Amino acid sequence: MTSHWEDMENADYILTCGSNNAENHPVSMKWVNRALDKGATWIVVDPRFTRTAALADIYCPIRSGTDIAFYAGMINYIFEHDRYQHEYCLNYTNLSYLINPDYSYDPETGLFSGWNEETKSYDQSTWGYQTDTETPWDTETTYAWVKGEGVPEFDPPVLKTPKKDPTLKDPNCVYQIMKKHYSRYTIEAVSNICGMDAETLELVYDTYTKSGEPGKAGTILYALGQTQHHYGANNTRIMSVVQLLLGNIGVPGGGLNALRGEPNVQGCTDMCIMPADLPGYLHWPTSDGTPSLKAWCEHETYSDGYYTNKPKFMVSFLKSWFGKNATFENDYGYDWLPKVYKPGNWTSMRTFEHMAEGTMHGYFALGQNPAHSSGNTKSVRESLAHLDWLVCADLYMTETASFWNAPDMKDKAADIQTECYFLPVASIMEKPGTILNSGRLLQWRHEAAPPAEGTKTDLEIMDLLHKKVAELYEKEGGVCPEPILKQKWDYDIDGKVDFRAVAWELNGYKVDGADFSKQKVDLLTNFTQLAADGSTACAIWIYSGYYNNNEALLEPDEQPVARRGHEDPGNIRLYPNWAFSWPVNRRIIYNRASADMKGKPWNKDKVCVEWDGKEWIRNDVPDFAFQKANPDGTNTPIEPNNKAFFMRWEQNACLFSTGGMKDMPLPEHYEPLESPVKNLMNGHQNSPMIQFADDPSVKAGTVEEYPYVATTYSITEHWQTGQQTHSCPSLNESQPGQFIEISRELAEEKGIKNGDTVRVWNNRGDIKMKAMVTHRLVPLTVNGETIHEVGMIHHWGWAHSFEQDDLTNDLTPNVGDPNSFIPEYKAFLVNLEKA
Amino acid sequence: MTEQAIYFDSSKCTACKGCQAACKCWNNLPTSYELNSAGEFTGTLQNPPDLLPNTRLIITFNEKDREGKYGVDWAFGRRACMHCSNPSCVNVCPSGALYIDEETGLVTYDSGKCIGCQYCRAACPFDVPRHTNVGLTGNNIKINKCTGCVDRVKQGRKPACVSTCQPGALQFGDRDEMIKMAHERVDYLKSKGFEQASVYGEDQMGGTHVIYVLKYGLDQYELPADPQQSGITDALGVLKPLTAAAAVATLAGLGISFATGVGYKRPTMRYDEANHDVVDADTGEVIKHIDREAGEL
Repeated sequence: MTSHWEDMENADYILTCGSNNAENHPVSMKWVNRALDKGATWIVVDPRFTRTAALADIYCPIRSGTDIAFYAGMINYIFEHDRYQHEYCLNYTNLSYLINPDYSYDPETGLFSGWNEETKSYDQSTWGYQTDTETPWDTETTYAWVKGEGVPEFDPPVLKTPKKDPTLKDPNCVYQIMKKHYSRYTIEAVSNICGMDAETLELVYDTYTKSGEPGKAGTILYALGQTQHHYGANNTRIMSVVQLLLGNIGVPGGGLNALRGEPNVQGCTDMCIMPADLPGYLHWPTSDGTPSLKAWCEHETYSDGYYTNKPKFMVSFLKSWFGKNATFENDYGYDWLPKVYKPGNWTSMRTFEHMAEGTMHGYFALGQNPAHSSGNTKSVRESLAHLDWLVCADLYMTETASFWNAPDMKDKAADIQTECYFLPVASIMEKPGTILNSGRLLQWRHEAAPPAEGTKTDLEIMDLLHKKVAELYEKEGGVCPEPILKQKWDYDIDGKVDFRAVAWELNGYKVDGADFSKQKVDLLTNFTQLAADGSTACAIWIYSGYYNNNEALLEPDEQPVARRGHEDPGNIRLYPNWAFSWPVNRRIIYNRASADMKGKPWNKDKVCVEWDGKEWIRNDVPDFAFQKANPDGTNTPIEPNNKAFFMRWEQNACLFSTGGMKDMPLPEHYEPLESPVKNLMNGHQNSPMIQFADDPSVKAGTVEEYPYVATTYSITEHWQTGQQTHSCPSLNESQPGQFIEISRELAEEKGIKNGDTVRVWNNRGDIKMKAMVTHRLVPLTVNGETIHEVGMIHHWGWAHSFEQDDLTNDLTPNVGDPNSFIPEYKAFLVNLEKA
Repeated sequence: MTEQAIYFDSSKCTACKGCQAACKCWNNLPTSYELNSAGEFTGTLQNPPDLLPNTRLIITFNEKDREGKYGVDWAFGRRACMHCSNPSCVNVCPSGALYIDEETGLVTYDSGKCIGCQYCRAACPFDVPRHTNVGLTGNNIKINKCTGCVDRVKQGRKPACVSTCQPGALQFGDRDEMIKMAHERVDYLKSKGFEQASVYGEDQMGGTHVIYVLKYGLDQYELPADPQQSGITDALGVLKPLTAAAAVATLAGLGISFATGVGYKRPTMRYDEANHDVVDADTGEVIKHIDREAGEL
């Protein structure tokens, strides 16, 4: 989330699209209902009329997988009706920037300039800006730290200030390019693709784009309905573009708000669950791009804005990782980090391919259940059978831990040679530590009860594992020992690994004199104290400041992360004294954009930050340079300027992406891998950069064989793969089994009655579940044809003791996005019949 | 403490069933089905389809076609004890197990005194009270219904269902205030175009201690339009002063069988959306057909 849960109350317009927030994020409704009470208008766009839609002011259906077309039409509507926030866009975004004249897009082929058919990727050199002036770093003053002792040597970047045309008339300016690009997305074209009627679509556009009025705030709530597509990253990006055009990013009640799933899923992402990331969204070293620390610093360090500090974050990370073994001479141990070649090859989806190919022999599934939750689970469990060993750690038996017991594998289980280990773990209530919610809020939780007998916490399991592996390396040697043996690993307190010592590591500390074994550590106030000379260590820079009270190292209750203050400066639900929000306790990120060029809030009643003529009033922690430190220790306030997005080197937000996205600089509509229609917008059916579509396990089907669009989702009564909720009687009773939602019309056509068992199949799988026949789902009209969509929940499997059902994910395809490698669970084709 | 009431605003309810689960957790109620099983899928999200011996509260789902093209009028209701001011169940209870908590007005009971006659269920115009251990032996049949969490309330806490409600659909407080809030909300809903919005519970059964704001027509909420004292109340009212033991004897004399746990029971019903039938969940027999074309709802 760019904002946070409580901030939804400040919204004037709420658009839920790709999320079912009332059902899957019940707490969101506390704040949405309050916004509605204050007069907000709520729009829900969803293939199904959900419990969320039941409460909304406007409901609009949509065919799964067509979100980019939906938002592209909204962008066109914004330009046509002049609904964009002029002052905001002109000053805080790259709307007026000039793009390389060689940039082009061809609707005939569906390709942007720079396409390489051989490598199936883009050379992005034509997607850049035209440069006005070039300014090298001043290493005498501003960037003097680069020359400091102990700082890794690297050639500092040069700031290439882009050319702009504030009149927006230059044909190469972002405004003109976007206007032309999106003019194709008329109401008629979009409704023809997405399947709703033009009238409803226009009502949605008209209503939501009113949030572009200065002083009005609109928020978009989204979740996996947007992301789980092979162009999911661009689904997210086009929402950012819409929010920027409407001036909704950074303002109270605005933002682009990803409602994360499991409470710690945000923490998981922060902590580098993606193979391309290090903790805190630093990029993992690659063998072709950043093989040395020098190359990393040169490649990753921004020429301006806050990411000019990246070498400080990286060196501090390495100091935390390798401790005293990390020195200036050995590039702080950078060479010991594995260099990843094409990180996409190591994402979850590809993992199972590696198993099938025999290149991956062992697998840890810690708190996850990929044999249930991955796409194309039949191929997943077949891959697992190639492993030598499999370790699962969970509260309850999972499909992964018992993959050999799947209904279609049982009979040949004796032939499977995989050695399976199951480690019972402590539950979330049986261990202390932090939990991080979608609003980036870290909160400390105490242990409510000790772990049940025979179970261990995840931390203990990882700690013992590391110690044992290190011991074996020391005794017996082995391949590539340094990354293991050179690590700093000293998190024991009173003879046992302790969450508090880990907290010190995450928060960061001064290296000099630190000795964890003696509980001696000088914690950093926050990441502004990080240095690139090896004097500081910090495992994840964005969390720095969450556990920084040196007076109470062993008392989490005395730390920022456990604060319980109810104060609300500005009366806009910021609650800065409640726990700790990363970064630096900032609640609304990009909050400079909540005020105009003079520093006056767009909405005078909702003040995040405000320039009073002399200094900044700061209800939230400013997300911009608001003061300058003087040599004498005092600070001078910095007057308002246009640098509202200082995590970008331009310090402006990108409507046009000049390199962050691999597959398109401007989001363009493509059809899902399996779609009932031809792409009506361009000559490329799927996104040119769809990942893994060639894998033989994908077995894409056609509309002739599989005429119905299917989507998958969760319901409020159960949780993900169900291990925890199926063991809870009250929840089992509240939803007894799996079902497929089918419209009355399709049910009639197929002779299916409510409650009947239905067979659903495609090339990947063949499953049975109960039918829920309802008018909440209606046939859509796409390109003049009637398209039926069905919805399936996915919470059941064979591993549960009490209720069992087939796996919905046997049907979903294992293709993914080139940026995030997320699989396409949300739109595919099936056939069905009464069983 | 003044008279208290649970407030339920169906226009804010998201039907997440958090209240349903919280009720079972706080009151330590197992599933009513065998072991940990979940019951039958009935083609609706209303699960279980009705109150059960160990399920005191359910959220009801009722949808109706909407004018215009997309979506339905999807009514989320709450089905549990209404805590009447003049409760049939208390009036009919021969053993004095059921009683009104004087401080709050909530209708609660002493299980130890319950003799398992199930007359309370027969008398209740809302068909709320359920009984555990009803079966062939009929041993140790006990009433089970919402107590308004009077135990929590006495400790200054809100009922479990209320405290868990995130959307703010459930509130708890002085009955007068809840009624005032309900009227304000109904006025607001009417101004938003929900013409059939109404307050329920203000006057019914002498005024209930559960106050509902109904967003759609009453017919979508499994609530009787005009709940009345049961006739059985008058017939058995005379039993009230008797002790439990005497009551048992008297009732036995009236020829009422305890061995099979017989009293009036509404069948466990479910709604068959495809055919618009209300059917008996046990036998599948159609209890009532809803003829939509004829305008029935």
